[in-house]
Amino acid sequence: MTKLMIGYIILTVIPISLLGYILYSQYTHSIEEQVGEYIPKLLEQANQNIDNQLNEIKQLPDSLYNSSQIIEVLRKDSYQSKSNLLKDTFNVNSYLSSSFLNGGYSGILGVFIQSKNRLFSSTKIPYSGLRLEPSSLPYGQDLDLKGQTQTILPYQTSLEFEGNPPYILFMRQLRDYENQENLGTILIAIDLSIFDNTLNTLKEENDSTIWITDEGGRITYHTDPALIGEVDHNLSNYPDINGSFRTTHDNQLISVESSQLTNWKLFHSIALSNLTKETNAVRTGSVIAFAIIVVLSVIISIILAWNVSNPLKKLTRLMKEVEKGNFNVDLPVNKMDEVGMLAKSFTSMIQEIDKLIKQNYQIELRQKDAELYALQSQINPHFMYNTLETIGYAVDDEEKEVVIRMVTILGRMLRYSLNNKDKLVPIASEVKNMKDYLTIQKFRFEDRIHFTIQEDVDMYQYYSPKFILQPIIENAIKYGLEELFECHIGIYIYQEADQICIKIKDNGPGIDENTLVKLKSSLNNDAIAGRDSSFGLINVHTRIAMIFGEQYGLEIHSEVNKGTEVIVKLPVVRDHEIRNLSGGEESA
Amino acid sequence: MLMIVSGCSILSNGDGYEVIYTNKSTNQSATRQEESDHTIAIIPKVVNIPYFNAVEEGAMKAGKDFGVEVIYTGPTVADSQEQIKIIEELIHNEELSVDVIAVSANDPESLIPVLKEVRDQDIHVITWDADTLAEGREFFIDMVDPETLGRHLMDTLAWNVDEQGKYAIMTGARDAANLNEWIKWIKIQQEEYYPDMKLVEIAATGDDPNKAYLTAKRLIKDHTDLQGIIGNSSVGPPAAAQAVKEAGEAGNIAVVGLSPPNPMNEHLKSGAAQVITLWSPKKLGYLTVALSENIIEGIYPYDGQYIPGAGKIRVVGDSVIMGEPIDFNKENVDQYDF
Repeated sequence: MTKLMIGYIILTVIPISLLGYILYSQYTHSIEEQVGEYIPKLLEQANQNIDNQLNEIKQLPDSLYNSSQIIEVLRKDSYQSKSNLLKDTFNVNSYLSSSFLNGGYSGILGVFIQSKNRLFSSTKIPYSGLRLEPSSLPYGQDLDLKGQTQTILPYQTSLEFEGNPPYILFMRQLRDYENQENLGTILIAIDLSIFDNTLNTLKEENDSTIWITDEGGRITYHTDPALIGEVDHNLSNYPDINGSFRTTHDNQLISVESSQLTNWKLFHSIALSNLTKETNAVRTGSVIAFAIIVVLSVIISIILAWNVSNPLKKLTRLMKEVEKGNFNVDLPVNKMDEVGMLAKSFTSMIQEIDKLIKQNYQIELRQKDAELYALQSQINPHFMYNTLETIGYAVDDEEKEVVIRMVTILGRMLRYSLNNKDKLVPIASEVKNMKDYLTIQKFRFEDRIHFTIQEDVDMYQYYSPKFILQPIIENAIKYGLEELFECHIGIYIYQEADQICIKIKDNGPGIDENTLVKLKSSLNNDAIAGRDSSFGLINVHTRIAMIFGEQYGLEIHSEVNKGTEVIVKLPVVRDHEIRNLSGGEESA
Repeated sequence: MLMIVSGCSILSNGDGYEVIYTNKSTNQSATRQEESDHTIAIIPKVVNIPYFNAVEEGAMKAGKDFGVEVIYTGPTVADSQEQIKIIEELIHNEELSVDVIAVSANDPESLIPVLKEVRDQDIHVITWDADTLAEGREFFIDMVDPETLGRHLMDTLAWNVDEQGKYAIMTGARDAANLNEWIKWIKIQQEEYYPDMKLVEIAATGDDPNKAYLTAKRLIKDHTDLQGIIGNSSVGPPAAAQAVKEAGEAGNIAVVGLSPPNPMNEHLKSGAAQVITLWSPKKLGYLTVALSENIIEGIYPYDGQYIPGAGKIRVVGDSVIMGEPIDFNKENVDQYDF
């Protein structure tokens, strides 16, 4: 039972769970791969957008060159009066306001131009910290940017805006292209919230973290503004790729994309669990379905195992019963499966065994009974008395010959009956014994009894049970002499097909129909009737049938006042076949 | 200590990152090398005149900025044969390996054979200031749009002579392509808008200051009622202004044209010249070196390209246009230093 169940469970639970696990991991893996491929493309797009935005802003200083008035101011080295300086400052500041702050670039917090000890500025919100001294910027006096735009992060400068909005500074040298001289430095402060639009589209779907670092790992933008300006210490550990990778310690999917313009790296990090969130419903569903399947399969396996093992257990129990000797068992299995067939075979086997036992038992019982009767009839005291009386008369009459013959015959009969070792004897012996019996009766009744024996077969060759003829003859004589003066008895021994038949025919009163029917039914019913007159016949029939089978035995034909014909049917049994006969040896 | 450090780094790697997807190779275009072994030869029409000296200044500054070697060499007279000799010397000099030769051509045709020879040796050839035929070079760096410049020069003269009277043009080398192109547009502008004006002579000076001075004097003498002189090459206006001043005609004969502001500073302030026009030759020199360096790197100029140190450029056909002409007058002449 347990083995079966374990087998079932192994066959169902393990493959299903294995399959489920493989499918699920394959699925999450493919999601990982898809997202891992998809996000860098989005990042590339976002980088492009940011680059474009920054590029536009980077190019803003070029517009200064279109204004000869501003360039003229910037070319100036010295002033004759303070008012001239202030006038120029005013002009430049107004220009910066109108062309930068109000120029359609919402992301610009402020513009500063440091030129020859002058600071021009225009900002959206008040600021502090930016002074003329070069110390307020990370580059010294020998600033030479060679026309490139430098990015300055808030931590590198003392510049602060009111409200501390996150910002970056673009610094560029203003070159006097015509004179090939330095005009000063322009600083553009850019509000980082201009990235929000671009980056929020990335963020929209999931709870992801987005940040931008410069080449050194300094965070320039982060979805958590508190981290801006910090250094991302993990950066050096990250694989140096544009693409996606997974952190094995906390299962984050991190995608990186470097900007072509700034060399900044745009990061997007999302917990893998978030990615698979949508598939979690599927997973939960599968797990539930899996659990249901497991439970069902366990139940089914239990039922199946029970179905097989329970009849087997019953069978075992019944076998034990049978072992103890109780054949009266019943195994009610109605199934058509193997177990049912097994149970059926078992039942039929037990029944067969029971039947055989009963048969043998009863055969033995009857045989004993029959033998007892035969023994009784052999040494029937009545017969002995009559015979001895007849011998006595003969002695009185001094019929010496007769006495000698009778004593000899009686002795022979006694010896025949004493010799009980052989169950089957040659038919000749049996016929001889019958002849002896008839001879003795003929001595007694003289001419009232006539008998003829006709034999068509070799009687020494075939065998028959002992004492099967004497009871029939006794019967014939008894009833014949009761009714008639002369009693004729014919005995014919012949072979008919594969049967040896011994026909005993008399001319007695016959048997009336009712009695005949009764007698015949008694023969067929094989019942041991009471010891009435017909008992002798039935006994003979039963013994023959028990030894040779039902098809053998007695056949009785009778007609009232005409006579009776009893045919003893025996199988053809030769000397060497005696041992094979069932019952022959056992009943000895 | 080393062991510990390396152990740490292994540990942090073991921390584990599993690459899922690589977008593309990460090899970013490396920032330009500070020092390259590139050599760029700049050949002006002529050396030792203020205009080409200013070009040299700009070119040298660019050489320093980009870390390239700049050879600035040219003939002492504006002659294409001299230029051919210089170019041949450059390409046959074993010690030099020139990557780019940038020429301001005195003649659009005669330089072609030698430039072809140069190009056969896998040396880039570009032209600046004055072009050759297109087959001689990869592209041409033009200072300003010739039509704009030519028409503008005519305008500056017309403002100063009330749109009437005789005028003469002093050009440089007679065959210089750029000069002739400008003259064409000067004439067209005059015919279209100033019917009362009349061009009396186009005189070539060969970009020789002395010859130019003599030419100017001759023009003043030859043409009575001469109202104005357009100096079509940079030696023209200073020579013309000098001649006008000496003739006592300052203010009567207007002097305009192309010249760097420094040589004209005094003349503009004294009234011997009214307005001169030019671009920044420094910027031109700088831009020429910058674009030369770019083509060595495989970057060819495109419209709207931003060249650090020279601003944005325009590209029309196979010509780069550096910018717009600048007018110098007595008010603003002090702003410029070339």
